[in-house]
Amino acid sequence: MSNNLNNGESVELKKSTFLLTSPYLKKVRAFFEEVTSITRFVLRFFKEVFRPRYEFSEFIKQSYLVGYNSFPLIAITGFIMGLVLTIQSRPTLAEFGAESWLPAMVSVSIVREMGPVITALIFAGKVGSGIGAELASMKVTEQIDAMEVAGNNPFKYIVVTKILATTLMLPALVILADAISIYGSYIGVNIKGQISFHLFFLQVFQALSFSDLFPAIIKTFFFGFAVGLIGCYYGYKSDSGTEGVGKAANSAVVFASLSIFIIDMIAVQLTSLFM
Amino acid sequence: MKTETGNKIRLGILVSISILVFIGAIYFIGQRQQLFSSTFQISGIFKDISGLQVGNNVRFSGINVGIVEGIEQITDSTVQVDMLIEEHTRKFMKKNAKAIIGTDGLMGNKIISIIPGTPGKPEIASNDFVETTVPINIDDILLKIKTTSDNSASISGNLAAIVQNIRNGKGTIGELFMDSTLALNVNEAMVNIKQGAGGFKENMNAASHNFLLKGFFKKKKEEATKKTGK
Repeated sequence: MSNNLNNGESVELKKSTFLLTSPYLKKVRAFFEEVTSITRFVLRFFKEVFRPRYEFSEFIKQSYLVGYNSFPLIAITGFIMGLVLTIQSRPTLAEFGAESWLPAMVSVSIVREMGPVITALIFAGKVGSGIGAELASMKVTEQIDAMEVAGNNPFKYIVVTKILATTLMLPALVILADAISIYGSYIGVNIKGQISFHLFFLQVFQALSFSDLFPAIIKTFFFGFAVGLIGCYYGYKSDSGTEGVGKAANSAVVFASLSIFIIDMIAVQLTSLFM
Repeated sequence: MKTETGNKIRLGILVSISILVFIGAIYFIGQRQQLFSSTFQISGIFKDISGLQVGNNVRFSGINVGIVEGIEQITDSTVQVDMLIEEHTRKFMKKNAKAIIGTDGLMGNKIISIIPGTPGKPEIASNDFVETTVPINIDDILLKIKTTSDNSASISGNLAAIVQNIRNGKGTIGELFMDSTLALNVNEAMVNIKQGAGGFKENMNAASHNFLLKGFFKKKKEEATKKTGK
């Protein structure tokens, strides 16, 4: 009897050891732990964002750093995107004798998809990695702990302002990138053809509708939020010394880029449901 | 402090420009959708709208003057299309104006073209129903092209059979073209006719010198001289 009991106990012990040591299950467990941790981080953000005291001057500073400083890169990317898209689309449209559709087709592509996604990816690469590295180095050098000891709220001062700045600055950058990109498209149309700016402008706005513009701009707020949130999360949670700084920056870019595509996919599905 | 103020100004300019661009985009898209101009509504009842959608353009004399505002199925075979038209075109649009659904170019969007109506008739009123014409359906055109091509195929088949018969020397034309003996016979006949004609000429000459017919030929000669003398 006691022998059977011992056997049962050992089976239980083996099972629990397997659950703790199996590399596959470890990964699953780590994934769910990460999801819980991110959810707590997001909830803390929403709790802190509406509670005074508001760090307005730090928010403006962060907006300048993530918005204004990213503008040149985004402007150049946007211009090239419009130009290249136009030049690449021309031969296909020319086969059907539909070159006059070039402004309409390119502008719809830019406003709906290319502008928001490409700008958000560039933004994630520049800003997401910067935020991740900055916060991770602050964590490593114990600046965040020092702020807590001094009675300040580092989460509110560092994380909330950065996430708000990325959330609000990315839509502004996307609007400007769209405009510059459409101008690049105008140049692209005029490389092999000839069209007046007035006619190009009319054809662009003839093709666009509110259902192209609004969903595209609304989703950029989510892109910006994701970039800021993921950058701050990986920086704030970094805990493996100087090595963690690079790791945080890398993870911030990879997961922010991935989340941009996931949010975009959801946004497209939702848009097609309602329109 | 100075740098901070400068940064704030730069950020303010960037954000202001992006807001202006966004407002501009809303304005220009809204203008196309007649949101900021005075408009009136007219409707038309169609049997088939051929894929027309809300937001498609309405043209009057080839100019975009409005958009399709609503499409509603009224009965199993009729669809009501509501159109929003710019107010300034009302004076040109008469009560008996007609609406036709067409296509913008070969592969373009569907559009509604409005034919003005007879001059002197009263202007169209708001919420009026315009007459509609059944649009030319691409399927109908393709069906007609198919019938025509079927007929062409049948005709070319018949022609091929006829040519084949001719080549085989069948029928009158076939014999005419392909039978070499016929050509020989015709040649011989021609030689005979020539010889016959020569003999006949000699006979006539002999007859003209005969004393019994001399008077007749003399009279003929005199008549001919008289005619030429006139």
